[in-house]
Amino acid sequence: MKKLVLLLLLCLLTGLAYADDSFQFNGYIKNELGLRTGDQNYLQKNKDIVQLAGQYNIKEDELVFFAKVKYYYDFAYIKDKLGKAAHYMEHIQRAEWLRDLYLDYNKSPWFLRLGKQQVAWGQADGITVLDRVNPPDLREYWLPDMVDIRIPLWMFNINYAPKLNSNLQLLVIPDFVESQGAPIGSPFTFRAYKIFDNTMKQYATSLWDINQHFPGRRLNHATYGLQWSDRIADTDYTLNFLYGPYSTARNTTTYIPGVPTPAGSFIVARDYKLWRVYGGSFNKTFTNPGPMQGFTLRGDFAWYNDEPTYFGDPNTGKTYGFARWDNKFWLIGMDKYIVTKWLLSFQYAQYIMEHRLEENNSFASYQQIPMNGYTYGAQDPVENIFAIKISTDFLNQRIKPELSWSFTDDAQGKVSPKLSYEINDNLLFTLGWHYFYGKDTESNGQFSHQSQVYTQLKYSF
Amino acid sequence: MRKASFIMAMLALFSGLAFAGELEYFQVYKPQAGMSADEIMQIEYFVKYTKFAHDVKMGGKAYFIDKAGSVREKETARLRITLGRKSDDIAYEDLVMFTSPQVRGLATLTWTYMDPKRQQDSWLWVPSLKKIRKISNANSDDSFMGSDFTVEDILTRRFEDETYTLLREENFRGYNCEFDKKTYYKDTPCVVIEAKPKKSPWYYSKRVLWVDKNTGGGIYEEMYDPNAKMFKTLFKSFEIFNVNGKEYPAQIMLEGKDLRTGHRTVILNTDIKFDQGLSEELFTERALMQSRW
Repeated sequence: MKKLVLLLLLCLLTGLAYADDSFQFNGYIKNELGLRTGDQNYLQKNKDIVQLAGQYNIKEDELVFFAKVKYYYDFAYIKDKLGKAAHYMEHIQRAEWLRDLYLDYNKSPWFLRLGKQQVAWGQADGITVLDRVNPPDLREYWLPDMVDIRIPLWMFNINYAPKLNSNLQLLVIPDFVESQGAPIGSPFTFRAYKIFDNTMKQYATSLWDINQHFPGRRLNHATYGLQWSDRIADTDYTLNFLYGPYSTARNTTTYIPGVPTPAGSFIVARDYKLWRVYGGSFNKTFTNPGPMQGFTLRGDFAWYNDEPTYFGDPNTGKTYGFARWDNKFWLIGMDKYIVTKWLLSFQYAQYIMEHRLEENNSFASYQQIPMNGYTYGAQDPVENIFAIKISTDFLNQRIKPELSWSFTDDAQGKVSPKLSYEINDNLLFTLGWHYFYGKDTESNGQFSHQSQVYTQLKYSF
Repeated sequence: MRKASFIMAMLALFSGLAFAGELEYFQVYKPQAGMSADEIMQIEYFVKYTKFAHDVKMGGKAYFIDKAGSVREKETARLRITLGRKSDDIAYEDLVMFTSPQVRGLATLTWTYMDPKRQQDSWLWVPSLKKIRKISNANSDDSFMGSDFTVEDILTRRFEDETYTLLREENFRGYNCEFDKKTYYKDTPCVVIEAKPKKSPWYYSKRVLWVDKNTGGGIYEEMYDPNAKMFKTLFKSFEIFNVNGKEYPAQIMLEGKDLRTGHRTVILNTDIKFDQGLSEELFTERALMQSRW
């Protein structure tokens, strides 16, 4: 009902937009098709999306109301192949349909944005070093645009500019939504989910008592963020701090034997641990004459304090618990136009785990290997990540080809070429391919059978 | 009378001093009889980048027309503040916000420095990331936003990038605009100047410009490739805006034609407002971050 009221409100705003300059609206209708190119071909996606956004300037630019809603239906999930996941994937979640709903107050030196929104930190492109304010929706892995991956949260976003080109941002986020993964039966179900699901099936005669402990609605369980942005000479930098519940729960499973064996109970506690992120980012374009002129250099650094990390036996895919380690994640990126209108971007990131074995426990050392949260594969103490993107355009920007390739030092990765064609002012067609490679225990490799050719047809208004 | 003559003489002296070096910001200059090609081109650049005004706000429509007549349209809203500030070397700052459905929300902030050898700083608000990205400047010979103008035609070419020769003074033959089928500037007194790039090799070997004596605006130019063959024409129409007793020439329409491909781009500047007292805070990353689309 709430959704319907808001949609009607937006339609009303849209109508009023024609009558009054204070109203503005924008939206699109889009179809996305995804065809699996692995050993079995079938439609992984046939998704129709409608998005509508409206803005009302209550008092010129000083007080502005903004709302954005999105509705989709994926017809691929009415087919038998993906039927099992249908309910979950069709369901229009709280995280999905209402993308933005906030009030802006802008009076120098203050800027306040109050309501449901997303906040993006850092300079990385597609790698979330500092971009950890909003939890990710990974039901389609990391394939959609980041704006569609971040799950919006209700928050107070308070900004104060003590001087020109600087800003102090305080985020108070009483809202909590856990990150989303694809359910069993979906193309992009994480291997970790499959292993857990198989374990449950293996012990189907046992009682599975799953207790999910969401963070309480208390101030000390809210998320707090602080960002200072400034400029030294011609280098922009930020200093960041984030404190709050980790967006993904960690399971602790206890088995209580029953009689006769194998009857018994598995008590699973799903907890969202509090963690802290300390970090910063920078960017600089070399504007003065010299060999570096035209280069943009950017970077993020984060120290994750008390990040909950699984450990266990990657050979069997069994977790034995989790540790709370202090991990580091840093990234450096470079962008440069090479030749005429060819933009080359390169990113290198390193995720460094504390990798400290738990003391005074009964596990053998082979059972204390850090495990990747998505795959339950062995996590390298130092993970090296690379990303390359090349883009250009032809026919007065009507045709835009782009190639992106991300990979790690474990011979796994994703190659994604795409070609966009602007049919007219409102209609855009995109053809692309996501090719995954690597071992099942690696982040991209787990989807090596889910490589996908896709098309998008988007009508904007 | 004697006092008035003295003031006129002083103004002429200051004017002469100004031409000896950089033109002073926030003044209106017009070509005068006897000026050299360099002096006229300094005025032409001054007019092009609206350095006479403290700020300007305008809407814009760009039409991309291919040989077959197919038209694509993009809309923008633009703000510029002129600073001419030596302390941090900033000449002026531009904010361009795209308002067309396909690209709504995309916005670029550009700072241009007074040092002619220094490249601009640019930030881009990317709606699909909801993030500001510092961007590497496109090469000067790249197309500007897919138009028939290059980046340097619109943004980066500066007085110091070329050498100039005064060819002649003549009444302009008139420009037949294909977009609105009107003839512009017929018999308008102009100075014809040849501009050769200092870079060599470069994508053009020379430009021939017709500069309107009344406004100092470059109304028409022909561009020649390294084989001395004309490959592009650019036309600009100007209108005079009376602002606080000063006469500001503003570009109203630009038409660029690529003679090799038959493709044309027309840019219309609309709702132009000068000296509205825009705050420099509008030209900061924080302002970009407030984008909602």
